[in-house]
Amino acid sequence: MLVKIQSIANVGLETVPVDVEVDVASKGFPGFTIVGLASKAVEEARERVKTSIINSGFDFPAKKITVNLAPADLPKDGAAYDLPIAVGVLLASGQLPPSILSNLTKMFFYGELSLDGALRPTKGILLLGLFAQKKGNCQIFVPAKSAAEATVVSAIKVIPIKSLISLVDHLTGLKNIKALKYIPVTDELDILPAEFDLAEISGQEQAKRALIIAASGGHNLLMYGPPGTGKTMLARALPGILPPLSTQEALEVTRVYSISGLLKPGLALIKRRPFRAPHHGVSAAGLIGGGSNPLPGEVSLAHLGVLFMDEMPEFPRSVLESLRQPIEDGVVEIVRVLGHVQYPASFTLVAAINPCPCGYLGHPRRECKCSDKQIAKYHHRISGPILDRIDLHVCVSVVEIDKLAFVNIDQNKITSKIAKNQVMKARKIQEKRFKDLPIYTNSQMHNREVKKLCFLTPEAENFLKLASQKYDFSARSYFRLIKVARTIADLENSPKILVNHMAEALQYKQMI
Amino acid sequence: MKSLNKKMGKLAEDLACQELIKKDYQIIKRNFQNRFGEVDIIAQDKKVLIFVEVKAKTGENFGLPEEMISKGKLAKIRHMASIYTNGQEVQCRIDVVAVVLDMNGDLVRLTHYENVY
Repeated sequence: MLVKIQSIANVGLETVPVDVEVDVASKGFPGFTIVGLASKAVEEARERVKTSIINSGFDFPAKKITVNLAPADLPKDGAAYDLPIAVGVLLASGQLPPSILSNLTKMFFYGELSLDGALRPTKGILLLGLFAQKKGNCQIFVPAKSAAEATVVSAIKVIPIKSLISLVDHLTGLKNIKALKYIPVTDELDILPAEFDLAEISGQEQAKRALIIAASGGHNLLMYGPPGTGKTMLARALPGILPPLSTQEALEVTRVYSISGLLKPGLALIKRRPFRAPHHGVSAAGLIGGGSNPLPGEVSLAHLGVLFMDEMPEFPRSVLESLRQPIEDGVVEIVRVLGHVQYPASFTLVAAINPCPCGYLGHPRRECKCSDKQIAKYHHRISGPILDRIDLHVCVSVVEIDKLAFVNIDQNKITSKIAKNQVMKARKIQEKRFKDLPIYTNSQMHNREVKKLCFLTPEAENFLKLASQKYDFSARSYFRLIKVARTIADLENSPKILVNHMAEALQYKQMI
Repeated sequence: MKSLNKKMGKLAEDLACQELIKKDYQIIKRNFQNRFGEVDIIAQDKKVLIFVEVKAKTGENFGLPEEMISKGKLAKIRHMASIYTNGQEVQCRIDVVAVVLDMNGDLVRLTHYENVY
């Protein structure tokens, strides 16, 4: 008998329906073959399915079994086809009631089996949920350990499966498994405290202001200064002032984590903005994404959050240069032999660098020991085009000793809470501005939108013109300047960009 | 144990021959062997030459005889077949006869699979 079980394949973040056709022939030499461009992990499903069916106390038919994963030209990877194949074998060999056959088009099976018939956590459940939602009125049968991922998807029934036996009991009607309850995303988005509060960082008022602007508009930020002045602490405080993810954003981020298998079993959703701080030994494939079956890299894992590059000049040059395209487009396109995938990568880049190899160039008291050549070489490691893409350059200078003293610890210092409020207000304004567009922040605007949505007063325009002539800004810098000014104006709730907003934006411009 | 297996194998081959004869096949040769391997039975059904592999098991506790026939074994029989036919154009196929015996050597089950390669 031939049965068709529905499942899915994830190609990047795209979901493609896969028909798992299982034929248990009445004639022919017994055997078990899987066809349909299956990878090694899928090929091995043969042994897992066979053993888990036998160990669950069912019969594995000694017949000619052929499994086809259609469409046949799409490469399939991962162990998620174990469950659909097992269900197909049981159904085609008459061990499940044939009444299910008529409902099969509304059922999706997905999950990895272990040899004892239990289901193991499987990645990509959320994507299956979203796909089933689009199809409408569907049931998805997924491993209980990762079923929580799909509970944030409305209008589908998520049936958590612990083992093959419990699934059979459910399908035969012996013992029903309750579908998981739908959890609205908004209830899930609670706020976890960040590692550092802004108030814990002494001095650095200008850097904190820049941090708030970066958080409000999603602008890239570069901090330079001697070691030990608080660059890393500032960056780590950033997640604490970022607004919580919106429903749409949370789903977008969770999709990336679901596909890379980084969602912990039992966790439904990524609730806070990602903060990724890759070590400078990272490879280009690790940062951008890659592998023969391309997986998201750090830039995609930092989607809608922060990518922090500490000691930026220490990163290999080729790795840094590969950042250019994602910074500009907000997406990465990875092309490999097996196919071509696109991952979102709309992140805020925060970079920290020392002014020279020894770190003390420009220090008020300590002497820099580097030669001119060394300093030039150090600066040369970060190319102009990368610096050009960073809107906010801020100097994190040495903290004066009396500012470090414990006495004036709570002297009208800006705390993360206050900063967060400011950021949220600015984000609200942006939300209203971009309600018809697929973007969230000022920094994501394209030039077309800048022209349409950013209104400058004549003085501000004149100021910008003078500045661009004087400093020879590139066209990109010109527009980026306006975007930063727009964010500063948003922070002050000003509908137009005034000359002082422009001036502040200019102050953060790279002048080296 | 070894000699018991040999005895059982021989018995199974005899049973397989009986089954083939019952199906009006002609037995042409038994245990055709050379340094590349062995074909248990060579039979003929009308114009088709049949190379038969017989697999016997005592009891099904340690798996089915069907499971014990690997791709490699079939490839070996195929190789043997091409040696036997020696370039002549004849129709041929490979069959498998799976035999399950009990401890006393009585037949439990005998299944004949046609054209398995």
